[in-house]
Amino acid sequence: MRQRQLRLVVAFHTTSAAMAAEALCRGLGLAGKLISVPRQVTSDCGMAWSAPPELRETLEVRLAESGVETAGFYELLI
Amino acid sequence: MRENNWVRDYGPIVLAGLITGVAALVLTALGNPRNMGFCIACFERDIAGALGLHSAAKVQYLRPEIAGIVLGAMLAALGAKEFRAKAGSSPASRFLIGLFVMIGALVFLGCPLRMVIRLGGGDLTAVAGLLGFLAGILVGIVFLKKGFSLGRAYSVPAAEGAVLPGVMILLLVLLLAAPDLLHFSEEGPGSQRAFWLVSLLAGGLVGAAAQRSRLCMAGGLRDAFLLRDFRLLSGFLAIWAAVTVGNLILGNYNLSAASQPVAHSQYLWSFLGMALAGWGSILLGGCPLRQLILAGEGSGDSAVAVLGMAAGAAVAHNFGLAGNPDSVVDGVYKVGGIGAAGMAAVILGFVVLLAVTLTHLPKKEGTR
Repeated sequence: MRQRQLRLVVAFHTTSAAMAAEALCRGLGLAGKLISVPRQVTSDCGMAWSAPPELRETLEVRLAESGVETAGFYELLI
Repeated sequence: MRENNWVRDYGPIVLAGLITGVAALVLTALGNPRNMGFCIACFERDIAGALGLHSAAKVQYLRPEIAGIVLGAMLAALGAKEFRAKAGSSPASRFLIGLFVMIGALVFLGCPLRMVIRLGGGDLTAVAGLLGFLAGILVGIVFLKKGFSLGRAYSVPAAEGAVLPGVMILLLVLLLAAPDLLHFSEEGPGSQRAFWLVSLLAGGLVGAAAQRSRLCMAGGLRDAFLLRDFRLLSGFLAIWAAVTVGNLILGNYNLSAASQPVAHSQYLWSFLGMALAGWGSILLGGCPLRQLILAGEGSGDSAVAVLGMAAGAAVAHNFGLAGNPDSVVDGVYKVGGIGAAGMAAVILGFVVLLAVTLTHLPKKEGTR
């Protein structure tokens, strides 16, 4: 049985923005993966970026610099 | 922290699928066409006919299930404080995509939800549609990976998000208070219907369950292929399981590729029709059922997609694009399907979806 972990979940307004975030993080070597956006974040069924919580500041800066629009940063047990 | 993750992750979506499957069985038992307890495309087509937007006499009835789904989703969203009026994500393109999603679905004779319900009745002709739908989803995913986006939606006044639910209430008022204004089929699928209140309540239950769980066939396949996340897809597997078991118990299961209700065995065009519907659903961000749910949650963009689907239904029947079911005429089995106009419409649909896709790809990477 999988154990729940505290993760930083970055939500986006569009699927393409989530994928752009993935490409950016892959390029920068930042840990994380695309996930289906958690139900507790939104009733939308888009995608989100799941990362270690300690990367929050880095991601906020890098995503903003790259023009990837985010819909919110959440720390969740998922 | 350890707990039963499977129940937490899959419980709501599987429950929504079971509710939808059982509701489809109940509606069929009470009068809806066989293997058509629910069909978003067919029911929107029937509503278009009831309003006189097309004149196909066999498919005209103001299906309360559609109103129930939208209003059930709206009530669930309001109850959970998730009703958010949003709009502005390429509405004209969404109208066009919705139109061709409907044409593709009516070529096949069913939306993704009815495709699963047909499979649950043992209808092997629906396998071609399933394979086509998968192919269309994969094409859509390729373009998602290339950055396709219709753009984000923005907050708008609440009244904007209440437009489609308001239209649904108006349609219900018409059905109950002024039925003489509407067209009603006297034979064919449109004449087969459960009592309106049962249909409305069943729709409401499914709409609420789908809103809470995010039930979506296109999103389920997208997540399965892209993320290896099978939660959304499990909802449709639950629908299939519920309908299959229910039909076996009720003696309605007929595992065959011949003489299936409201279905044809022109496999290539069933494949292509659902490929068109699948691709379009990925571009829209959800299948026809999901568009109704999102419209109930306040999405003006999804409301426009639904209106595009209604227009597509009218076009499909006014121009003879929709599939005809297989039939037995004078003791001879006659294969149905579509004619040259329907084939041309499907090809045109692929061209239009490609054009919409190419015009919504990023100019350069990482700028959306």
